[in-house]
Parts: sequence; structure tokens; C-alpha cells
Amino acid sequence: MSYISVDHLCKTFTVRKKREKGSFFREKETVHALRDVSFEIRKGELVGYIGPNGAGKSTTVKILSGILVPDSGNVTVGGMTPWTDRKAHVRRIGVVFGQRTQLWWDVPLLDSYSLLRDIYRVPEEDYRKRLDELTEALQLGDLLRTPLRLLSLGQRMRAELCGSLLHSPELLFLDEPTIGLDAVSKLALRDFLQWENRERNTTILLTTHDMEDIAALCSRVMVLGHGEKLYDGGLQELLSKYDTKKTVQVEEHQNIDHLIAAMYRDLGL
Amino acid sequence: MNTLRLYCRSMAILIRSQLQYPLSFFMQTLAQLVMEGGEMLAVILLIDRFDRLNQWGPGDLYFFFGLMSVSFYLTEIFGRGVTGNFPSMVRTGQLDTVLLRPRGILTQVLCSAADPRRITCIAVGTVSLVLGSRLAKIAWTPLKALLLAESIFFSFWLLLGLFMVEAILCIHSVKSVELANALTYGGRSACEYPSDIYPRPLRLLFTVIAPFALVMHVPASVILDKPLYGWPAWAAFVTPLSGLALFGIMYLLFMKAMKFYRSTGS
Repeated sequence: MSYISVDHLCKTFTVRKKREKGSFFREKETVHALRDVSFEIRKGELVGYIGPNGAGKSTTVKILSGILVPDSGNVTVGGMTPWTDRKAHVRRIGVVFGQRTQLWWDVPLLDSYSLLRDIYRVPEEDYRKRLDELTEALQLGDLLRTPLRLLSLGQRMRAELCGSLLHSPELLFLDEPTIGLDAVSKLALRDFLQWENRERNTTILLTTHDMEDIAALCSRVMVLGHGEKLYDGGLQELLSKYDTKKTVQVEEHQNIDHLIAAMYRDLGL
Repeated sequence: MNTLRLYCRSMAILIRSQLQYPLSFFMQTLAQLVMEGGEMLAVILLIDRFDRLNQWGPGDLYFFFGLMSVSFYLTEIFGRGVTGNFPSMVRTGQLDTVLLRPRGILTQVLCSAADPRRITCIAVGTVSLVLGSRLAKIAWTPLKALLLAESIFFSFWLLLGLFMVEAILCIHSVKSVELANALTYGGRSACEYPSDIYPRPLRLLFTVIAPFALVMHVPASVILDKPLYGWPAWAAFVTPLSGLALFGIMYLLFMKAMKFYRSTGS
């Protein structure tokens, strides 16, 4: 029984182009963000979702989290359709956008968290327990009384993660969570995600350009390009496919970024 | 009740956030005083020159000005999410965060901003109300006090509803639309004065479309014992409800518009 099921998902955006000289109307262009994407994810899976910029990854995440409504296709997450049962759906999910903050900028973290507790109606006792657990796992202890704006990027990311997990979601979407982090912070973040996945059986969908993240965390990857799903399966199989092809050109230290770049080229992205 | 609690806690956090920059807060609050003081000065000069406007004497005019000022800036303080921040929430994608939380969209938008700097504008408005009340020699009764409170309360919803026009338009075009300001800021400037001084088309506009006259002028005129349009006193308790009705319509349109929300960036 799959937990997330995505069935023939399509989404287009109309982009109005700059008006050209001489013509009165602006031309409209239809961008196919997603074309007929289908996949299933089981409960407790940790799946990597990769693809070049503009492939449609964020659009998928936004549809799965109920922000956007698709043009056609069906999505169920744990038996609910995200955009029709918005409130019930978002209560069970956590979302972290690497480039956007969801906490309050000028107040101590603790105040942000307690406001989140009210928003999600988390019972006081659960909240205490969960906060203790998360502050320890994410090493936030000293930072709880610091306003968000004074934190470094890595600290902020940890704070964001904590905020999005306070209500103990069963499903976590991470959109480029390691963007701009130093090596230590990255490793710590990966450890934490593994821990959260193992301890609570949290299903995690990870969007990233950092292939090390994928290699460290995900046994399964999905590749998206031009709005279509191009690959779905184990990371090792994917890598070995392109490894053999390119070893001739690039010498020994074939890093994953090169492999992926080769793959994107190969797929004509 | 839970929603109200959330709103109050959000306001507390927002106000504390602003006080993180005390000097800036102080200066801006002072600037607001100068601004609204200037507005009132315009009324003072007008009264000095003409001393009557139709049936309205100086006290009446101060009273009308004060009522608008208090109502408008209460909306600005507590409804800042709608009156000021909404376009930028759409543009920066902060609205995504709102959609990711298990609470009403409008509730969260209202919880997302406050503008306590306007407190000085309310002070000016209150001074004007008191001055007007003295000059017009209003004989206050509990019923009149209730009517004033009712008028201010529903003016809040009326103004919030009018500001939502802008919010609705900007969901569709991802850009702030100045056109909508004609009703809000334009309405404020025009309806600082009782609507019966205006020609018929404007009077209709401020009665039927943006019912400032029904929500503010009718009750105020009863308080001043000079009923507008000769309507009976009980009508003044009913007409302000139109403010809530307008808000209700705008709320439905807003929720409809949210279906077209398309988010930005990644």
C-alpha cells in the first residue's frame, strides 16, 4: 500500500512575455512544468528528487503540499487529496524551503516555536517532549533564546527544521535543505534526517542539487527533466550506468556531480 | 476562541519585533503624528474659513473627522496583513507558508502583520472626537456611546473589506494594483466629511458601493442629533451592519481568488 500516490500529474503555467515592438498584445507562452508524472512512495521511504533547475521539482513539492492545484491528474497522500483537504493535510506534513524562512525574524526561536505550537494546536506535553528531543538532536540548546536574524545560515537551517518538525509530521518535504551549508553542518543535517527517518518512520522527499546528500541519504532517486520523470530507482544503478560511459573521458576521480551532469546531457536536458 | 488567542499572541510577537528597533519605532511613530496632525490641520483651516458646511457646524465636522481617523487607523494597526503586507506576501511567496499551516488563510494573513506606529494617528483622532463632542455639545447617553462603538467596530470591517479588493486583484496579477486605493485612501479622505455635502453620484458611491455613509455618517449624525437624510434613530443601529456585509462579500471573493494563486519562485 503506497503512502503517496501521484497519478498522471500535469501542470502548466502561462507566462506573459515582454511585449515585442510593433505588436499590441503581449504574447503568452505556456510552460509545461509537469507532464504526466506518476510515482508511488511507501510510508517511511527516504526518496531523493533531482533534476536540473526548472525541471519541475518545486512544482511537484508545491502540489504535494497543497499550495498549488494541478491542471489534471490525481494525488493522494495518506488517503487525502492535498488541495481539497488543505487544513487536514498540512497538519501532517512538514515543509522546509532552503531559501525561505518560515519563522519570525526578530524574535527568539523559542517564541517562534511556541507560536507554531498554537498554530498546530500541539498539546503542551507533546510539545515539551518534542522540543527537547529536537533541540538535542539538532544542537539548538544555546540558540533558543537568540533571534533568528542573528543566526548563521547553518544554524538557521537547523532552526527551520526544528520548526517544521514540532508537530511531528509523518511526511517531510525538504527543498534544497543543505544549500549554502558548510561541511560540518551538512553532515550534521544528514545525520539528523537519517535519525528522524529511522526513529519515527517519517517519510522524506528530498529535493536537492547536492549529490552527496542523495548518496548519503537516499536509496531511491527520481530524476525529473522538462517536467517528465526520466528515472526512478536505485542510485547505484543510475550511477553505474553513466560511470561506464564516461570513464574514458574523465579520469579516475569521477565525482557524482560529473556523472549527473553527464546524465543530464545524455538525456538532452 | 482559539483563533482569537492565536491572533493576540501573534500581535504580541509582532509588536515585540518592532520594538527590537526602538529608535526607528519612535521616529516612525512621531512621523505618523505629524502626518495625521497635518490632516487635522486641514480640517481646522477649513472650519476657520467656513465655519459651517450645510447643516454641519465645527463640532460636527471634528466629530466626523475623528470617527474616520480612529476607525481607519484601527484597521491599519490590526489589519496590517491585509492593508499593507499582502501584495508583498504574494510577491515573495510568503503566502506559501500560510498555505502550509492548518489555519484559515485570512486568519494567518491578519496574524502576519501589525502596525503599532499608527497609535499616534488614533490619538489625533481621539482628540478630534473629544473636541467635536465638546463643541457640538453632545448630550451623551449609554445608547449613543454604544452607537459610537458599533460604528467604529463595523467601520473596521468595512475598511478591511475594501482593502481586500486590492488583495484579490493582486492574487491574480502578482502585483499591487493602485486602482484599489481609490476606494480605501480615497474613501478615507472624502468621508472625513459627511456624505451629504457631496453631489449625488459620489453620495451613491459612498452609500451603495463603499458604504462609509451607512457605517459612519448615519450613526454619527444620530449621535449629533442631526439625523442624516431624516432617517429614524433606530436605523442608525442597523445600517453599520453593511460594513460587515461588504467584508463578507469580499471574503468570499478572496477565497475564490485564492484558487488561482500560483505561487512564485522555488
